[in-house]
Amino acid sequence: MAATRPRVHADGLAEAIGLGPAELAMRKRFLEFDDSDVHRLAEIYDLTQEHVDQVIEGFYDHLLSFPETAAFFRDPRLLEHVKGRQKEYFIRLTQGDYEQEYVADRLRLGSIHEKIGLPVRSFLGMYAFYLRQIAGLLLKEHSEDPDQAFETFHSLAKLLFFDIGLGVDIYIYQRERTIALQQEAIRELSTPVLTVRDRLLVLPIIGILDTSRAQQLTEGLLKSIRDSRAKVVILDVTGVPAVDSAVANHLLQTVEASRLMGAQVIVTGLSSNVAQALVTLGVDLTKLNAVGDLQGGIEFAERIMGYRVVANGDGLPEVVDAGSDPEAG
Amino acid sequence: MPVPILKQGDCLIASIQSALTDADMLDLRDELSDRVGRFRSKGVIIDVTVLDVLDSFASRTLRTISEMVRLRGAETVIVGIQPGVAFSMVQLGLSLDGVTTVLDLEEGLAHLERSRRARAALAGG
Amino acid sequence: MDDVSVTIRSDADVVAARGMGRSLAEDYGFGMTDVTMIATAISELARNILKYAHEGEIVVETVQRNSRSGVSVVARDDGPGIADVGLAMQDGFSTADSLGLGLPGTRRLMDEFEIVSSPGAGTIVTAIKWLR
Repeated sequence: MAATRPRVHADGLAEAIGLGPAELAMRKRFLEFDDSDVHRLAEIYDLTQEHVDQVIEGFYDHLLSFPETAAFFRDPRLLEHVKGRQKEYFIRLTQGDYEQEYVADRLRLGSIHEKIGLPVRSFLGMYAFYLRQIAGLLLKEHSEDPDQAFETFHSLAKLLFFDIGLGVDIYIYQRERTIALQQEAIRELSTPVLTVRDRLLVLPIIGILDTSRAQQLTEGLLKSIRDSRAKVVILDVTGVPAVDSAVANHLLQTVEASRLMGAQVIVTGLSSNVAQALVTLGVDLTKLNAVGDLQGGIEFAERIMGYRVVANGDGLPEVVDAGSDPEAG
Repeated sequence: MPVPILKQGDCLIASIQSALTDADMLDLRDELSDRVGRFRSKGVIIDVTVLDVLDSFASRTLRTISEMVRLRGAETVIVGIQPGVAFSMVQLGLSLDGVTTVLDLEEGLAHLERSRRARAALAGG
Repeated sequence: MDDVSVTIRSDADVVAARGMGRSLAEDYGFGMTDVTMIATAISELARNILKYAHEGEIVVETVQRNSRSGVSVVARDDGPGIADVGLAMQDGFSTADSLGLGLPGTRRLMDEFEIVSSPGAGTIVTAIKWLR
């Protein structure tokens, strides 16, 4: 079933989240990140190259010293993999060209972290760690020119805030997708289609029917008709509190679509109030094949399908297939 | 691409294999009408299982086929409308009113069999 | 594949437009029923182009707005245009498979629907379906 977010490949993440070129440009403007910042970062490229291993190893030693975060990196292959990616990331910070490809890379990395369940505070902690490390390196490198060190540090901070924004976006995006999938599962559970007899389905509708739910119900029902080769479907609306023209329309559409698939629909559980409302709305009740209650509906369906109820050897009622001619209607 | 039409006793079974252009649909209409006449068929099954879209033209043409075939003494049964297609048709307001639609080929043949027995019963008196 | 554009000049083009629109929608994550609805809408719109303008274009592309993602279908032609759009959009629920434009039905298949048309100025229909 559909989720609220597209199933996109890693390449399409930026677009899927709505991070097009215009949005990214706006974020940079907001952070006042411009070409002078890009230039300053380029100047410390060699510095970062020189110290990358030390910084990243130091970073993971730090992470692994906390049991909560160490737990995420128990798999040595995963650890090596993310270390490699972090080293690339670190060097990439000073390589300039912070455009689409850069963004796609960030999102991919963030996507991996979210998938393994790394908490937000951990990845925020990572950025804090980088800033501390680089601050230290910059102060040593520019000991005779602290203003220069500060400016460069400031440029880096802007870029890291930009990256944090991307990380948060991917976390939210993936979390929302998970929630949507779970909601989907809940919805499916709450609208069961029951097979009562061979080729006879009952769909008890409970609660408010809005358009989205109605569409889902109908889709689920039509698929069930195909899968169980149903000849008769009973829609029980006892649990539907109110019927307006939209709901009435959904019901009629369900009846019509089921008919196209060769299944007859019987509606049960229409209270006299609801029936009255439908008549007032101009709905032709005969089109709905309405029968009083669910029990009555099942009996009616069985008759249509050629089942009969007979007394078995113990004198108790038993449903038998009339056998010869399950003629509909 | 022509639609293969099988003759099975006094039934014709047209199995659509892929998406049809308007011209293909009209050809199908003419073919079925012609063969029903030639073979004096009593039933026509059109299998649309493979079609992922039944739009207004397709729907209209299926109804036309049903009417033309009826004029030549045969009954048409459409089989295999898929869930998504049934849903879309109803949204579009296409109802195929007056055309018999059943789930699949098996049901289609069973339906035609029932009609045949009903005819025989009437004839037998 | 982010967008597809098909020129509509013959009924084979209608089939092509539908198929490409279907692929795009499937790849983008729409469920089966929604994919069918989109393909059906494309079919109806392409058919209208053929019937009234004889030539036009269908463009199907992915869209994002706020935090929603979806697919848009734009049907464009330089045909005679529709004199009374209001009338064309009137809901004749049970008669849409007769000779009409099928526009109200197409609107029901999609989530958003906009039509710009006037006599002599051609027609542009934009319809969007959002991922649920």
